[in-house]
Amino acid sequence: MTTATADFNTQTTATPPDEILPHKAGRRLWFPMFLMALMGFGIGIVLAFFRADAVNSGDVQDAAALGQFVPAFMFIGFAAVFSAIAFAVARILGAFRAGGSGMQHAVGAEVKTLTMPPTGRAFIGLMVMGMMFILVPVVIHLVLGTLIATGNDSALANVEEWSIWLEASRRFGVSTYLLSILLGLATIITVLRFQSVRLGQIVAR
Amino acid sequence: MTAALDRITTPAKDADPHVETGHSKLGLGVGVIGLLIAMVVAGLAIAAAVQVGDAGSEDTIGELLAVAFGLNTVALATIKTGIAIILIGILVRLWTRVQGINKALPALKAPTKDQGNVATSGTTETPFGTCDLSESAPKELGIHKMAKTLWAPMLVMGLMLVAVGFVVALVWAGNVGSDPESALGASAWAQGLQFLGEAMVLGGISFLLASILAGLRAGGGKVQQSLGLPVQTLEMPVTAKVFIGLMVAGMVLAIVQFVGYIVTTQFDSAVDVFTWFAWLGPLRELSLGLLLAGIVMALATIGNVLGFQFWRIRGIITTGS
Repeated sequence: MTTATADFNTQTTATPPDEILPHKAGRRLWFPMFLMALMGFGIGIVLAFFRADAVNSGDVQDAAALGQFVPAFMFIGFAAVFSAIAFAVARILGAFRAGGSGMQHAVGAEVKTLTMPPTGRAFIGLMVMGMMFILVPVVIHLVLGTLIATGNDSALANVEEWSIWLEASRRFGVSTYLLSILLGLATIITVLRFQSVRLGQIVAR
Repeated sequence: MTAALDRITTPAKDADPHVETGHSKLGLGVGVIGLLIAMVVAGLAIAAAVQVGDAGSEDTIGELLAVAFGLNTVALATIKTGIAIILIGILVRLWTRVQGINKALPALKAPTKDQGNVATSGTTETPFGTCDLSESAPKELGIHKMAKTLWAPMLVMGLMLVAVGFVVALVWAGNVGSDPESALGASAWAQGLQFLGEAMVLGGISFLLASILAGLRAGGGKVQQSLGLPVQTLEMPVTAKVFIGLMVAGMVLAIVQFVGYIVTTQFDSAVDVFTWFAWLGPLRELSLGLLLAGIVMALATIGNVLGFQFWRIRGIITTGS
């Protein structure tokens, strides 16, 4: 049953509710994403030193190809680290939900759980959007880099224009991702407020 | 100064939990302003890309890209400021929660059974890791003291560096056509300054997260002590240690990239400058990446500590000890 109490929409159950998908994903995926981020950054920085060598020796083709591979791997790192942060925030929200409902159950009260607030939904939506703005350019960078490395003159001739487009998308993706994380953290404030209010209600029973 | 910062992050005594503190709205507002600036940046970059496609003026393209670079970092710093405001709101709410639990637990806990001599020293194992046992709330750790003192200065200094870097980026844009050498020097300063600023803002956020961990530790201890129970405090988990390591590594690399950019301003050859730029750019991104990875670990630690606290509260409610 979903009810609006004071300023919260809650769901009432006799026992603690099951874990919801975003929390399950958060619990399982934060660490793999963290590892993927470290790998992305690691590969990116190694390739950057190869690129510096190509720039220094005047090897235009290698410098241009690596100029696509370096941001591709660095931004695989950023997409992964932002995902890890988002999943870690989801895991915290899951801990609040499980802990809060378990506590209510332990005192013999009916279990009221907050339904996903608008900030929580916007958090997931913006996270997906941010990821797309980063990952689509990453794929195009990898394709461009491969084309240039294999001697495609057309790709080399248009690389500057492509790079600016792709950088614009990546930058906007990072901003969108950061805003989604902000919304996830704002959801924690809502949950904390709800739990304090609910605690008062239980004591006043 | 620590006392003044404590006041910002601590609610009034007996604060009404119903009342919104305003941190969410303010943080969201600042974040949305940051996204709007990011949209302007995207517009500038698209304009530059169109110019390149149409074989437009090199000077115009250079000017657009220089302004877009400076403004993009401003956008990111603005959104991160919004995140910092939200984290302050979480800290305030955590203390309201401690006040609420302090009041509620005596009424909710089961009567304590006589268990003879209960251990109040040593360690005990829990599903969330090893806990230290003590009679009273644990003393504040050095790292927590440092975090509570430094989050604000780091944040403010970071924002100042980003702002100064933006002004330098405008100088860079202004010199693109007229004085390429000065433009190159200004571009080095702008990149170095703005990314050092970004790193410091992330450092401020990391310290705020450490302050949240400090609040959870102190609050949990106070609640158990007020009930006259042995105080169980989680030992510092591996994730927290990794968090500190990644944060330090990220800050060191941020300083290295800044120094590297300054060094390039002394080079006579443009090839040398671009050779250094080729690795300094990814290095500055790596520094932010490591700081963000540290933040992941801090959030993971918070998740673990929360799990432990709810487990402990349930234990107190059901067994009284």
